[in-house]
Amino acid sequence: MPDTFETKKQEKTVVTDVPREAGVDLRLPAVVPAVPYPIETLVPQVNQQTPAVGQRVTRPDGRMHGLGQTKYIDDMSFPGMLHAKIKRAGIASARIVRIDTSAAEAMPGVMAVVTGRDIPVNSFGPSYQDQPVLADERVFHAGDGVAAVAALTEQIALDALEKVKVEYEPLPAVFDPVEALQESSHKVHGTDTNVYAKKTIRKGDVERGFAQADHVFENRFSTQMVEHVSLEPHAAIADWDANGRVTIWCTIGRITLARGDMARTLKHPMSRIRMVGTVVGGNFGGKNEITQEPVLALLSKKTGRPVKGVYSRGEEFTSTTTRHPIIMDYKTGVTKDGKIIARKVRLVLDGGAYCSWSETTLGKAAILSAGPYNIENLDVEAYVVYTNKTMTGAMRGFGAPQVCFAYESHMDDIAKALGIDPLEIRLRNAFGEGSASPTGQVLHSVVVKESLLKAAERFGWKEGRS
Amino acid sequence: MKRRGRGIACMWYPIGFTVAANPSAATVKVNEDGTATVLTGTVETGQGALTVLSQIAAEELGIAMDDIHIVSGDTDVAPMDTGAIASRTTYVTGNAIRLAAEKAKLILFDVAAPVLGVKPSQLEARDRKIQVKNYPQRCLGIGEVAHRAQVVMGEPAIGSASWNPPTVAMDPETGQGKPFSTYVYATQVAEVDVDDETGEVEVLRIVAAHDCGTAINPMLVEGQIEGGISMGIGFALQEEMLFDKDGRHVNPNLTNYIMPTSLDMPEIEVDIVPSFDPTGPFGAKGVGEPTAVPTAAAILNAVHDAVGVRITSLPATAEKVLAAIKAKREGATKKLTAV
Repeated sequence: MPDTFETKKQEKTVVTDVPREAGVDLRLPAVVPAVPYPIETLVPQVNQQTPAVGQRVTRPDGRMHGLGQTKYIDDMSFPGMLHAKIKRAGIASARIVRIDTSAAEAMPGVMAVVTGRDIPVNSFGPSYQDQPVLADERVFHAGDGVAAVAALTEQIALDALEKVKVEYEPLPAVFDPVEALQESSHKVHGTDTNVYAKKTIRKGDVERGFAQADHVFENRFSTQMVEHVSLEPHAAIADWDANGRVTIWCTIGRITLARGDMARTLKHPMSRIRMVGTVVGGNFGGKNEITQEPVLALLSKKTGRPVKGVYSRGEEFTSTTTRHPIIMDYKTGVTKDGKIIARKVRLVLDGGAYCSWSETTLGKAAILSAGPYNIENLDVEAYVVYTNKTMTGAMRGFGAPQVCFAYESHMDDIAKALGIDPLEIRLRNAFGEGSASPTGQVLHSVVVKESLLKAAERFGWKEGRS
Repeated sequence: MKRRGRGIACMWYPIGFTVAANPSAATVKVNEDGTATVLTGTVETGQGALTVLSQIAAEELGIAMDDIHIVSGDTDVAPMDTGAIASRTTYVTGNAIRLAAEKAKLILFDVAAPVLGVKPSQLEARDRKIQVKNYPQRCLGIGEVAHRAQVVMGEPAIGSASWNPPTVAMDPETGQGKPFSTYVYATQVAEVDVDDETGEVEVLRIVAAHDCGTAINPMLVEGQIEGGISMGIGFALQEEMLFDKDGRHVNPNLTNYIMPTSLDMPEIEVDIVPSFDPTGPFGAKGVGEPTAVPTAAAILNAVHDAVGVRITSLPATAEKVLAAIKAKREGATKKLTAV
């Protein structure tokens, strides 16, 4: 074994003197402060130990983060690189009558402009391909992109967006998921119904369960739309070379899927697409799909230069996926000693303008909605509907934090009404090894009771109030 | 005055995709000095996945974490991976890497066996050695074996493998089926102070007991739990995207979209529940997403315990909690719904 890490003390100084012209946009490669660091003291011995599993080893990337040396996309630059910006519709539902890009294209420093009509196949999505890369005929939510500009600087690109003239014909819209369920509501995608996916789970006979119950509890819970708010926004650089091979450095956490989406939208063979997933500054489910990457690729193809795009914080909110608001109706039948014998759940997920990861979220929310409890009679129906709002998609927990808020709030209400301790009522109902899940799956390595007892013990639950 | 309350919430959460195939593939190359390079198509998105995956490869090869270099996130060089989603990286990509490392290891065993005068099945890889089981003194350095494999035998120790969690499709009418290969479980207990004059909720302490199967790296598990709790607090009390009547987002900035900062973080106590899943790499499952799941429920149950109001719509902002307290004081008999 070479003793790589027993090297003598090394002093390394990072170059800080990056020349910068006055007035140039501050989005230059990050200037790293001089950090003379002795490498040997930074290598804890635990990383050298075997067996490796179970060790509290430090992350190699943690050292780079700590020293400010991680290269995120915004720290990367290539010779001749252009900066791209996307014009957002700002109107939630409309038909695009015309887009005039001539004034923008005539601006000095503007190198290329693309619109939705330039995208070879203008649709993508993991379940249904209902999302355009840039809106072409219709706008489905206010954060939709309608045109993109590549320019010498970010500021010129932003100025050029102002000169892109878009004429809209406003259309009716629907924003409330319950309203969207109604027959008379505006149909976001012109289909018969705004419901685009449904999930049902049925087990036993829920009505008989309610009839046998000593008490029946009902409540409605709802949650809001939230954003992932990763520290690093969505960012990418595309470089289309003279052989037609395009390389994309991107913040996407799923480059295999992203390459498939790029191949589809650009109508380009996979062998000519290289996706490089850089160190990502936070994902939480928000960076699982392509966003601006096909646009940057086309701008690079048009200009023959690398093109970088970095979303603003505003675009992070309005133009990327968010967490589903869910309206949750719970009805639960219990015996007088707190055993749940029947539960009926109705979920309505606000899917926003496009499907994205809604189908997955719907499935997980429906399956998990009964909680980690043995319930013989169960009836769950869950729907996800289109509205003219920012699309909802994957976010840490896929519907689980929403339904957990509902089933656990409901559980405490039941416990209080029956005069049972909240810990005790959970232990009475919780899954054990070999329990059957709501989908009839026999569960293994189940430790929900152990986790309840461990948390309660650590908290001092039984000792009473502090 | 400030009133103190406590609340408990437990949860279950699946690992991997719902029914749909979500495979990962990996390649492990043992270098001639006994260090190794791992190729994976997943991307490090800040959670420490590459560190955990390195530990899995190291464990299988009997070497240390620092002996592994991991190459990731490049479709030109790495095999496919369904990616950093659905809390699947440790479980699915981890299994693929473990299998790939095992294949490379079996080549080393084939090479070492005749030298040590035993059958390959009698060998194990531990502490940077290929050794005879139960006779650790009969051994060869892993570097020596890897060098011999490549330079003398012409059989470089390289393994590739893929893994996909087994599932069974759900019945469209009843939902019956096996949508996931495995699940994790967790409980969080929150202690809060609620100011009954302002409605403000302060989270004082959260105790979190999470199951992740074997904790490949307990420090990273703790990090995930602390991060998940911060998201859970924002979801419970502060964050909300608001739209005007025309569907335009009115708070698309961090001035008006309030999220927790380090000053809002409570004291967090983490327990890892002992558990072993035979289907995971070295018994591991996953921990990424579930950490954010029970936090809001525990906090809202603590608010109910403190001031006796049930907030049914999130986020439980100070205005909403105060309105509920006032309504309760006024002896309103109607059921409190969204305020």
